[in-house]
Amino acid sequence: MYLLDLQGVSKIYGSVKALQGIDLTVARGEWLAIMGPSGSGKTTMMNIIGCMDKPSEGKVLLGGVDISAESARNLTTVRREKIGLIFQQFHLINYLTALENVMVAQYYHSMPDEQEALQALARVGLSDRAKHLPAQLSGGEQQRVCIARALINYPMLVLADEPTGNLDEANEGIVIDIFRKLHDEGSTIIVVTHDPEVAEEAQRTVILEHGRIARIVENRKGGQEAKV
Amino acid sequence: MRNGVLNKVIAMFWRLVRGALFRQKRKMLMIAFTVALGASLATAMLNVMLDVGDKVNRELKTYGANINVIPKEASLLDDLYGVSEGRGVSDRHLRESELGRLKTIFWAFNIVDFTPYLNAEARMSGLDEAVRVVGTWFAHREDLPTGESLDTGMRNMKSWWSIEGDWLSDGDTDAAMVGGLLADRAGLAAGDAVVLESAGARRELTVKGIFEAGSAEDERIYVPLSVAQEMTGRPGLVSSVEVSALTTPDNELSRRAAQNPKSLSVKEWETWYCTAYVSAICYQIEEVLTDAVAKPIRQVAESEGTILEKTKLLMLLITILSLAGAALGISNLVTAGVMERSREIGLLKAIGAGNAPVSWLILTEILITGAVGGAAGYFAGLGFAQIIGRTVFDAAINIKPMVIPLVAILVFLVILAGCIPSIRLLLSLRPAEVLHGR
Ligand SMILES: Nc1ncnc2c1ncn2[C@@H]1O[C@H](COP(=O)(O)OP(=O)(O)OP(=O)(O)O)[C@@H](O)[C@H]1O
Ligand SMILES: [Mg+2]
Repeated sequence: MYLLDLQGVSKIYGSVKALQGIDLTVARGEWLAIMGPSGSGKTTMMNIIGCMDKPSEGKVLLGGVDISAESARNLTTVRREKIGLIFQQFHLINYLTALENVMVAQYYHSMPDEQEALQALARVGLSDRAKHLPAQLSGGEQQRVCIARALINYPMLVLADEPTGNLDEANEGIVIDIFRKLHDEGSTIIVVTHDPEVAEEAQRTVILEHGRIARIVENRKGGQEAKV
Repeated sequence: MRNGVLNKVIAMFWRLVRGALFRQKRKMLMIAFTVALGASLATAMLNVMLDVGDKVNRELKTYGANINVIPKEASLLDDLYGVSEGRGVSDRHLRESELGRLKTIFWAFNIVDFTPYLNAEARMSGLDEAVRVVGTWFAHREDLPTGESLDTGMRNMKSWWSIEGDWLSDGDTDAAMVGGLLADRAGLAAGDAVVLESAGARRELTVKGIFEAGSAEDERIYVPLSVAQEMTGRPGLVSSVEVSALTTPDNELSRRAAQNPKSLSVKEWETWYCTAYVSAICYQIEEVLTDAVAKPIRQVAESEGTILEKTKLLMLLITILSLAGAALGISNLVTAGVMERSREIGLLKAIGAGNAPVSWLILTEILITGAVGGAAGYFAGLGFAQIIGRTVFDAAINIKPMVIPLVAILVFLVILAGCIPSIRLLLSLRPAEVLHGR
């Protein structure tokens, strides 16, 4: 059984067909990249997979369960329990420390646990920045806090929409390393990116054009460690 | 263990609330201020409204007596021919020495003031027609049968008269107060001398004050009671007594009693007698004064009630309007706040916060802010209440503790109402839209 199974998914905004008849499966533990020109529907697809939006047509099976017809309330629950979200603009709460930003996700999921949150920060190499406010962190550090927050509740699926779009090369490298580690540990990851180097790290790259899948590329390098 | 978990949950919630409170300091201050404004007005109005029954009564009593006491025969003439008290027609009088008994009736405590009148006709220098001379108490100390004493008289009962010159005192036996209209006609000013002639006797008096009462009294001359008694040769007698009493508004029972006290059952009669209805007080006055008839002065007694009701209605209206204004102000501020924070709220929703927890977060912030504002407003309102009491009712307002829960509930409801639009906005906020900046 696939972890994620899109069947004929379309999304139409008035006259704009943001997505048209997408069929795609993602296996558990797979690392998938999505590329495509601006406006090709990448974010739209991520929103639908991430339970933040519903398709106009088609089915979305997440862990075998059809989420395409769920109520907003149930989608919130699915999002909370199964999805970890990473954004291009980080979206940290600026009056909370790095640690507290991670704990907010715990708070709305189950209960805040400072030790666990500290461990999550340690995994992204930010143990010593736990008490810092977002404004006191570099962009790369903020994105790592965001990743720690996305991972804190052990999501079934990690979704990252241009996670390195606002980062320099050094920080991009750090983030990719973290994803690699996650992949090694068995996480399922979908990353939207404009950067071919980032996409190469994934096992497969889906290329979107005008809301359709133009082609899917198997990456030679991507996910090698995991296959061993 | 459970406690630890709860503490962590509360600590996180508090962290979120506090962060938002401090980040939006200016907006929260505005909200607190708005609530304070509404709460202070509500506090002031409620305190005044609840305490004002007596105050307004006491104030209104200064707008005239509400009971008129006259001798029995005079009353009969009055009933038959519509001739008002005395007019020199009746020889019948009340006794000055009995007046202290007014403070011995069952409702003695409700008798606030009283003053006797002795009417006389006299010719005045410089005028052709006869003028009405009235003898009365100005500031009289009456020793009561109970051993206490009471200061009463015109200065208390007619405190709203505007005086040019001075009030008389009861010892001013060679002075008079002249009504404004009469003084105009006779060309009198304060300090002038005036000569009164009646029954052959001649008396020269100094005009000590000229008053405006805005009624028939402006055509009269007032002198100390002893002077009038001397002029008319009726020592120890008075024509009528005006009484100012605090009364309970009439109801069905008192109306029946006023028509015919005998129609009441014993029990009803007792209830009536032991309630401060104006009719019961009149009845009790008749019991203590020989051959007297006490009658409520209707218009005044009734207008007291309606003015009081209207005053209360006005205050209620002010309260409602100020609270509605506060709710509107809050709704604008909170909605603007939620819009400013749409990304943050979208994020909370994206990481799995349901609508209810996020709504509670916002509501808690506003309720805390509102509680601070409400408390400040409450104390400011106590001050307002005193200012209103001083300036409008000329008395301190007693603080009613029951206003605290009332204002608390009102503030709570106002905040809830004020938060409705922003909560609706919050519910319709879609994380996908705000987080990608669309
Ligand atoms: N809420 C919306 N209402 C109307 N049109 C929308 C909406 N969201 C997306 N679209 C349109 O759908 C198309 C796909 O948008 P989408 O954001 O998915 O593109 P993208 O591939 O993520 O682009 P980018 O690389 O610039 O982020 C675009 O033409 C966009 O204008
Ligand atoms: Mg996009």
